[in-house]
Amino acid sequence: MVSLLRNQKVRNALLQVLYVGSLAGMVLACVMIARRNLAEQGITSGFDFLFKSTGWDVNFSLLPATANDPYWWYFLIGIVNTLFLGSTGLILATIVGTIVGLARTSSNELARLLGRTYVDIFRNIPLILQVFFWYAVITHLPTPRAAHEAFGILLSSRGLYVPIPNVGGVAFAAAAIALIAAIALPVWLGRTSRLNQPVGERLGIQLTGAAAALACAVVILAVGRLPDLALLDFPALQGLNIKGGLRIPPEFSALAVAIAIYGGSYIAEIVRGGFKAVGKGQMEAAQSLGLSPWRVFTLVRLPLALRAMLPILANQYVWLMKATTMGIAVGFTDFFMIVALTINHSGQTLEAIGILMAGFLAINLSLAAVFNRINKAIALKGNQLRG
Amino acid sequence: MNSTLPSGPAVRIEGLDKYYGSFHALRKINLSVERGEKIVICGPSGSGKSTLIRCVNRLEQHNGGRITVLGTELNDDVGNIDGIRREVGMVFQHFNLFPHMTVLENCMIAPMIVRKRPRAEAETTARRFLEKVRIPEQAMKFPGQLSGGQQQRVAIARALCMQPQIMLFDEPTSALDPEMIAEVLDVMVTLASEGMTMICVTHEMGFARRAADRVIFMDGGEIVEQAPPEEFFTSSRNERTRQFLSQVLGH
Amino acid sequence: MEMVVVAPPAPGRLEDLRRRFLATPLQALLSLVSLAVMVFLAWKLLNWAVFAAVFTTSGGPVACQAAAGACWSVIAARWRIILFGLYPFEEQWRSALACVSVVVMTVLSCIPAFWTGRRIALVWGAGASLYYVLMKGGVLGLPYVGEEAWGGLALTLFIFVTTCLIGFPLAICLALLRRSDLPWISRTTGLIIDGVRSLPLISILFTFAIVLPFALPQWLQGDKLYRVILGSALFFSAYQAEIVRGGMQGVPSGQEEAAMALGMSYWQRISRIVLPQAMRNALPATINQFVVAFKETSLVVIVGFFEILASGNAAYGTGDWRFAYVEVYAFIALIYFVFVFSLSRYGAYLERRMAVGER
Ligand SMILES: Nc1ncnc2c1ncn2[C@@H]1O[C@H](COP(=O)(O)OP(=O)(O)OP(=O)(O)O)[C@@H](O)[C@H]1O
Ligand SMILES: [Mg+2]
Repeated sequence: MVSLLRNQKVRNALLQVLYVGSLAGMVLACVMIARRNLAEQGITSGFDFLFKSTGWDVNFSLLPATANDPYWWYFLIGIVNTLFLGSTGLILATIVGTIVGLARTSSNELARLLGRTYVDIFRNIPLILQVFFWYAVITHLPTPRAAHEAFGILLSSRGLYVPIPNVGGVAFAAAAIALIAAIALPVWLGRTSRLNQPVGERLGIQLTGAAAALACAVVILAVGRLPDLALLDFPALQGLNIKGGLRIPPEFSALAVAIAIYGGSYIAEIVRGGFKAVGKGQMEAAQSLGLSPWRVFTLVRLPLALRAMLPILANQYVWLMKATTMGIAVGFTDFFMIVALTINHSGQTLEAIGILMAGFLAINLSLAAVFNRINKAIALKGNQLRG
Repeated sequence: MNSTLPSGPAVRIEGLDKYYGSFHALRKINLSVERGEKIVICGPSGSGKSTLIRCVNRLEQHNGGRITVLGTELNDDVGNIDGIRREVGMVFQHFNLFPHMTVLENCMIAPMIVRKRPRAEAETTARRFLEKVRIPEQAMKFPGQLSGGQQQRVAIARALCMQPQIMLFDEPTSALDPEMIAEVLDVMVTLASEGMTMICVTHEMGFARRAADRVIFMDGGEIVEQAPPEEFFTSSRNERTRQFLSQVLGH
Repeated sequence: MEMVVVAPPAPGRLEDLRRRFLATPLQALLSLVSLAVMVFLAWKLLNWAVFAAVFTTSGGPVACQAAAGACWSVIAARWRIILFGLYPFEEQWRSALACVSVVVMTVLSCIPAFWTGRRIALVWGAGASLYYVLMKGGVLGLPYVGEEAWGGLALTLFIFVTTCLIGFPLAICLALLRRSDLPWISRTTGLIIDGVRSLPLISILFTFAIVLPFALPQWLQGDKLYRVILGSALFFSAYQAEIVRGGMQGVPSGQEEAAMALGMSYWQRISRIVLPQAMRNALPATINQFVVAFKETSLVVIVGFFEILASGNAAYGTGDWRFAYVEVYAFIALIYFVFVFSLSRYGAYLERRMAVGER
């Protein structure tokens, strides 16, 4: 027996069995205890509850939602909300980060100082504090009756009201997709491997594509337009409240602003790192070819910097997506809050936690997959940057 | 595993087989090294020299055959391995000194934590062996502050501090500049003359002539030829050996 | 650069300024815009925070609200709740002392002389125990104060320190397990690490605080505070484990081989040879991870703890100070900023110093 324990192979096998076994045992024990405890409270485990109606409301949803909707629909609403908030925050943060990052790398000392101050301040204050702050700022805005107004946009403690076109929901979504296509198409076509024309002709094709997509959007909007109403629905004060237009609730704006500002400070550093990674040699080579500064930037510096940033940027985006869970701090019904509410109301704890994990795994994996593809597509072939 | 010497050869290797995945790195090696014997192993790159001596202190696990070191067989018994590693010192091509410790600490750590020697005793031993490799004045420096030749001599001293019965050398001079090779070889020759059992992988044929009892030529994972140095250098029968020798000695 | 034979005359002060800020029209424009933005913001901020601000509590909230600038009176009136939460008033000096002990501990562990496994463990162990004794009392004539009464900055620091204290050793264990030669151990550990990393911290805190009591036997449930700390330590360790593992990958394999050849056992190799070198490699990333962990302690507010953010919400949320939220958040932000900024500056300094040392 003793000599058996001294045998390396036996030892290794034993260790592995012990480790995996005890972990699995712990998890299993937890699940069993939880099931028993829940059963005592009269909660039957299983996913049947997904098809029961929830009986409670969500305060923000892009999809139609009533308290009669089943749980699975609410989870879907949560995921869509998370993705919507996440991508809004992500886009805003990228814009902020790019501007600040460029300031950080500019040759102008004052601009650099400005960028650095921004990064130092907003990076070092926890995101949730910033969320709380912006939420407090927005909810302390004047009441709807005294709302700030500019260009038909109303800003009050109940949220931001913007005019929207009077079109049906489906048409609206389709138009949005067409608009995205209008932006994405030229980029997609711009990949040299797809079009073999010289640069000048390529630009023409790109513009044509964008214009076509834009035209599509306009047509969809025109067709889907609700009859007998003005083209744009302007928000306006009626009684004590504001009616009409699209209301962006304070919860959403606070989160989006906070994520944009906080995330922007991180992305700024990534952008700076990316530009720093571009070798002096490449730039000098480009300059010595007589390219104009703008051309050096767009043809050499930017593409190389983008490649250097992308992997880190991908991590940052995943992080920002996860940061949407702070919605629960101000009561924005993101995916996590829906899960928490589900546990509160239905008691289906294990199932809800399982769905939560699966949801975030799916979000993470798909983001990673997208970035891997982009990364692979733009990666330099071989090791062109060596030296 | 202590100084009472069990009888028999220091190292006996019978029918040794070693695979890396599906790659057959050592094929049916048979080799016996007597106590006090000095062996030099040479052969072209990739012929399995390092693999062979790394099997002797089980830095690599063999897949077939038997290895017996100082009367103890190297098998899956964990206790045997620990015991053997204590008695077998090894010097690497790239020194592998511990960069976060001074030279003296490098030499003291193993005797203290493995052999459980008291600090004072470990230090005396360490200083003695540093003296022996002719760098007592560098004791308080860090490895990064020494030249390659000095580092390799520290590495030899570090191995000797464990007072091993067998020393393995894996190309101890091939990472060194020519002027440093001599200082390391001198130390090795001294060690050989004191009767240490040594297995050296090296292409320094001068060392083989001066110190070795037997030279072994390996190729393709096999021992192709073994002979005393004089015979090996002058009247080798094997075609591959002669070709190799002409390359090594030719310039 | 040998082509420059005659050095240009040293530029005068003005010339130097002109070159740095006004070299081209575009540069000049950029400088001017930046300068304008900076001056404008700095003036606004100074005016709000200092010149037009009210600092005393004498006028009360009403007079304060009327002022054009910041109303720091809210801090003067409510700083105790922000820093100490609901800790008993007469005992708050203990809470303050406990915070000081944590700060001293952090500063000490930034000094290279303490960077051996034993010393750092000693410093942190001593700091944390001192904190615990001071806060909890019940010994040495200090009245007992239960965890439920802890709050404010003191609670934030406690959560941070215990998270690191539990998370750091756990991270090393996870890193070693993931790096194991035994395939099932390394795979399972990898699954745990990647799983935890793919989840948001809030969901883990929520699970540990609210869901776990269902899934644990009575005797294992413990206090909610300690469960949350465990969750946050797990999260910390999953990230830190990858950092440690990265550090280990930077240690050449020859190091471990040499240690093996000297007859050292696995633990001797790890503790004497591999970890000291790995931790050195991983130091900058580790400090960064501490910074992140400190910022993330603020998330426990979501599972209902009265840490500094929650106590800040309470400080302005009740009574007559409702309007003074900006001041309260600015105060808390400043506290976070001081901790986080100095720590991350220190990390950047270390990184530079090590980059120089490597040459
Ligand atoms: N860890 C490993 N995994 C896979 N193959 C290996 C490994 N180590 C060595 N080999 C292969 O085994 C063969 C023998 O290697 P070994 O290092 O023993 O050669 P060598 O004779 O010492 O060569 P050199 O003179 O270059 O050091 C080589 O073909 C090598 O590619
Ligand atoms: Mg070799």
